[in-house]
Amino acid sequence: MQGQLLIEIVMRNRLTALVVDGNTTCWVLEQELLHSYGVQTLGVDNSKDAVDLIASDAKFNLIIIEKILPVLNGLEVTRQIREIGVRCKMLEVTACSGESERQAFLATGVGAFIEKPLDPEHLVHILRELDG
Amino acid sequence: MDLAALKTQLKNFVQSMFEEGVLDNQFSQIQALQDSTNPNFVEEVITLFCNDAEKIINEINRNLGYQNVDFSNLDSYVHQLKGSSSSIGANRLKLACANLRQASDERNKEG
Repeated sequence: MQGQLLIEIVMRNRLTALVVDGNTTCWVLEQELLHSYGVQTLGVDNSKDAVDLIASDAKFNLIIIEKILPVLNGLEVTRQIREIGVRCKMLEVTACSGESERQAFLATGVGAFIEKPLDPEHLVHILRELDG
Repeated sequence: MDLAALKTQLKNFVQSMFEEGVLDNQFSQIQALQDSTNPNFVEEVITLFCNDAEKIINEINRNLGYQNVDFSNLDSYVHQLKGSSSSIGANRLKLACANLRQASDERNKEG
């Protein structure tokens, strides 16, 4: 079965993204969606690998992070990544959350907070912003 | 049955799942991601999802079998299942997870 992506865009720059999600299905889908928009991606399935990667100076235009993760939770990882000094756009994507959690994440400086699934509408908006 | 007939049958089956609300628009997105560079993407993702989901559902059942249910542990599994089912477009399963979460929040084992 083949079809057209529901939203198509032309990117000027080659963007890079890191996907952090403990759930393999989500991780695979998010990366494939990003690939389809020409974004080069790297995926990790736990907090420790995510923080180690960032601390080793790997650079990304976008970091997509799930709330519940092995090792440390998403909120703590987001804080640590910001403390390392990373200022790129971060997007929190999670299955469900309350208003207080949303506020806690936004307070860490994460750029955006959306409920799963990561859909093209939200993603395209962010990619356009990053592409300039 | 020949290949064309099988393909038609599959297409009709998937369409009926959309109509019944078993699948939602997110599944269309996944179908759209399949192309010549990734010709088996849909099948691979479904297989991955089913394997993941089976493990999680087993854990949920196991947790619910205890006299004193650890609702926060349960919540973590339900969260994962909700995440993957919503990502793959398994609409009814996603809604079932939301209901389960609600019952879990209320510490309602019967619910």
